[in-house]
Amino acid sequence: MNRGSGATGGSPTGDGGDPGVVLDGVGKTYDDGGTPVRALDDVSFSVADGEFVCLVGPSGCGKTTLFRIIAGLTQATDGAVRVAGTPVTDPTTDMGVVFQEYHLFPWLTVAENVAFGLERTDRSEAERERRVDEMLDLVGLTEFRDSYPKSLSGGMKQRVAIARSLAVDPELLVMDEPFGAVDAQTREMLQRELLDVWGSTGKTVLFVTHDVAEAVTLADRIVVMAAEPGRVDSVVDVDVPRPRERGDPAFGDHVARVRELIGAGP
Amino acid sequence: MATDTRREVDGSALGVDIALGDPRRLLRGAAGLAGFVVVWHLVSLTQPAIVLPSPVAVAAEFRGQLASGAMPAALVSSVRHWIPGTLVGTGLGVGAGVAFAWSGLLDDVTAPLVRVLRPVPPLALIGFAIAWFGLNHAGAAFIIAVGGFWINFYASYGAVEAVSDDLIDVGRTLGVRSDLDMVRSVVLPASLPGIMTGIRTGLGRCWMLVIAAEIFSVPGVGREILRASNNLRVDRALAYIFVLSLLYLVVDVAFRAVQRRVLAWQA
Repeated sequence: MNRGSGATGGSPTGDGGDPGVVLDGVGKTYDDGGTPVRALDDVSFSVADGEFVCLVGPSGCGKTTLFRIIAGLTQATDGAVRVAGTPVTDPTTDMGVVFQEYHLFPWLTVAENVAFGLERTDRSEAERERRVDEMLDLVGLTEFRDSYPKSLSGGMKQRVAIARSLAVDPELLVMDEPFGAVDAQTREMLQRELLDVWGSTGKTVLFVTHDVAEAVTLADRIVVMAAEPGRVDSVVDVDVPRPRERGDPAFGDHVARVRELIGAGP
Repeated sequence: MATDTRREVDGSALGVDIALGDPRRLLRGAAGLAGFVVVWHLVSLTQPAIVLPSPVAVAAEFRGQLASGAMPAALVSSVRHWIPGTLVGTGLGVGAGVAFAWSGLLDDVTAPLVRVLRPVPPLALIGFAIAWFGLNHAGAAFIIAVGGFWINFYASYGAVEAVSDDLIDVGRTLGVRSDLDMVRSVVLPASLPGIMTGIRTGLGRCWMLVIAAEIFSVPGVGREILRASNNLRVDRALAYIFVLSLLYLVVDVAFRAVQRRVLAWQA
């Protein structure tokens, strides 16, 4: 099914035995001279291959720190993150990473942004071009391939960012509140599109959000975090068939349950 | 005669610059320029020529210097130290600025040295220029390069420092592994707007330093201005000042065109 994983990461692809992502006692203490701050404490859970897991929690529960640790951008103080059995210590192209604020390269066109990761693999130029076309088609931006990010709307920028992260065909997609900066309508559209992409590519997705309804819309399982220190409070299975409708009573039940676990308001 | 001067001024100097804007600005600019020349002319009628020569006299002197070949020779001479001085100063300034801002180690090692050297005005180094290079193009180019260096150093340093960590993170997640690849593919393009602003400022400063560098009698436009001033030939000094402005304008307009093109993604 896969056309080989990203070249530069070079970690072995999980074959059957290893679950997609394993967090094993991950902790993080910030100690810059003053009182040490425990941001994350003993965070353990795993994500199966092809599973869609959302991470929710109140602000200050260390969601973004955990996201950065999983992505290899920040080092954990304790424990380990393993992707397909390999400990993550640095960013790897086996993992596509999508940030809240898109962070497209403004000096590159849409197509060049999508090609950025591919240029660091051993694919031939023809292959890279085909892959870029495929990705642009996947997110419906073919006609904007030569536009600069400046001329795109927020929703379009995030589509480019998703296409860019998927281009090298990573096994795992890690996303930090990717739809937090777009309006409600665009957000719902992007959620549907992401589910389509997930359905058609079979990627494993780890999705951080503070929006409980979004988590219930998307996830197979929801990891609910608690704050001070950031830790796993509970894990909720979302056994509502897709496509999920917000009017569905089962949908509302799940939202209510997760909100109760977080201890948030309505 | 007066109309002659005006056409000369309009056509070659501001025309190039303003032609890139909209026609209304062009008209207003032309009116302002014409007004300036008229006022200058009127004031010059009340003053002796060694205090303020009329625009007509300056234009005549300009033509005379041009025709005699003195002005073209001075220009060529100035350009011959302006170009190497600017290239070396800009190249080293941008290179050092990017390298020191990117590398914490280099920055730590050089920061005190930079603070000590920075306040030294390029002209204070004239003694060294003469001792190391002699009274020639290389000596003048050295002075120009020192001036160009600092502007480009600080502009590039600041631009690289301002590159967002988020773009660096994205680069890492997309497979950028080496410092060289990161600088080439992310840091340089991200800081290019700031670097180019520095280069543009530096180009202007290097032109000013051409005059200063020619104080120790390296031939060129600057020396002609100093000589004419010493001989109370204000008309000739003005003619040479004028040709210097023209050259700066041409270079600046050309560079802005390049800048707009290279930074098309910003527009």
